[in-house]
Amino acid sequence: MKSKFVFFSIIILLLFSNKILADDKALAGADFEYGQHLSGECVTCHNSTGLGQGIPKITGMKTAVFIKKILAYKTKEKDNAVMQMVADRLGEEEINSLALYLSKTK
Amino acid sequence: MAKITRRSFVGIMAASTTALSMPSIAFGALPRVVVIGGGAGGATAAKYIAKDSKGAVDVTLVEASKRYYTCFFSNLYLGDFRNYGSIGHNYYGLAVNHGVNMVHEWASSVNSAEKKVYLGSGATVSYDKLVISPGIDLKFNSVNGYSPEAQSIMPHAWKSGTQVQLLKNQVKGMKKGGTFVMVPPPNPYRCPPGPYERISMIAHQFKKTNPTAKIVVLDPKNKFSKQSLFMEGWQKHYPGMIEWISADTHGGIKKINTSTMEFETDLDTFKADAASVIPAQQAGRIAMNAGVNKGDWCPIVPASMQSQADENIYVLGDASIAKSMPKSGFSANSQAKVAANHIRGSLTGSKVFTPRFANTCWSLVATNDGIKVGANYDAKPDKINKTSGFISKTGEDSNLRKATYEESIGWYSGITSDMFS
Repeated sequence: MKSKFVFFSIIILLLFSNKILADDKALAGADFEYGQHLSGECVTCHNSTGLGQGIPKITGMKTAVFIKKILAYKTKEKDNAVMQMVADRLGEEEINSLALYLSKTK
Repeated sequence: MAKITRRSFVGIMAASTTALSMPSIAFGALPRVVVIGGGAGGATAAKYIAKDSKGAVDVTLVEASKRYYTCFFSNLYLGDFRNYGSIGHNYYGLAVNHGVNMVHEWASSVNSAEKKVYLGSGATVSYDKLVISPGIDLKFNSVNGYSPEAQSIMPHAWKSGTQVQLLKNQVKGMKKGGTFVMVPPPNPYRCPPGPYERISMIAHQFKKTNPTAKIVVLDPKNKFSKQSLFMEGWQKHYPGMIEWISADTHGGIKKINTSTMEFETDLDTFKADAASVIPAQQAGRIAMNAGVNKGDWCPIVPASMQSQADENIYVLGDASIAKSMPKSGFSANSQAKVAANHIRGSLTGSKVFTPRFANTCWSLVATNDGIKVGANYDAKPDKINKTSGFISKTGEDSNLRKATYEESIGWYSGITSDMFS
């Protein structure tokens, strides 16, 4: 019985390993509640109802897209003084938590 | 990734402690939060406490107005970039979407020993935690000759509403080639770049319909927020129209006469055809009544926005001494989220995260010419500490200035949705 369980576990792991590894790598330390708390800082400017006027909508954004954009502001590849400042104080855990929360929010 | 910043949170208030400190919980009643003032600080705090506690906290917002006109962007109304209706908001979203109990009355006094707020009608509301976010009151006698009666002749227009409508009417009706005199307030005051954005928007009006008009600014200060950016913009868009005179140059405003429209200074006596006088400011009266002020403003604990005088009272926004943050709607909104998180933690045992503050102030100098200044802050024991910041640069290209203006439109939509939806 035990060996059967281990066998099936290995099969499932093999089937999904690429995806699991990719997600784990991208979202280390991600915490939904922390992301929700941090997003309070975002919605002062990014309209929480999704009406992007002069400032784009960020809710519902895919995690990889969000992380790529934030990192581009952090490294100053992308230009915008406000966003560069916002990104500057976000560490990996914060970025991943925000990515997780925003990706699951309409 | 440059660095990994560990999230830190404080799990506070064991259940037993919470029950002891709040007898109401022991009897099954919900903990009660009363918020006084429905602006950027109060509306945001009420919403976030109600939204995030998911019914575990009873939230009452005491705000006299049923429709709230924002101070921010009232300058854009002066310049015809917004209509008046677009800066007005109601509390439907807070009541319906988040279950905030709206009480449209004035809070007349606070009994902090009994934890009660007395309303204008004579009714009372009890609280476990009280948030005071009343904005500013004007110190009319800080300008010799100015008074509440004089505000219809020389509108301050510093609390939005009809004063702003009146000022706009007087600007548009000023005689051709006349002189508009503006007296900005001394530090500290609500919205540091605001008076200078107002000057820009009045100049914008004059440029369209009264191009030979002059604007004289009699400043009680020797320097002001975003000075080089405004000065550059005035020279570029309104050459020869605006004369800014520093305190050292005019030697102080000795007296104003609202009958003759004269402003007496050491340098000269200036005669106005229309004017705006913004006096010195202090925390809204209810903060004084609650005894949480020290002089004109209210000292707070930076990590939570709790009053230094009473741990059950939080003071937000313009009324607080939140050095190094400026008195702005953005600041108040940011402080409200820190306070809301702390209040929920105290009342329900939810996680209290490390406080983070931010502010950005956008100003419009002329059509599609926006400028901005902003900063991040953290909480040190003795003050809210600036950790990084930026400011627009002189000589920026017009595309960037246009993008900055459009960004400010997006911000207005964002923050008002954050406050009221």
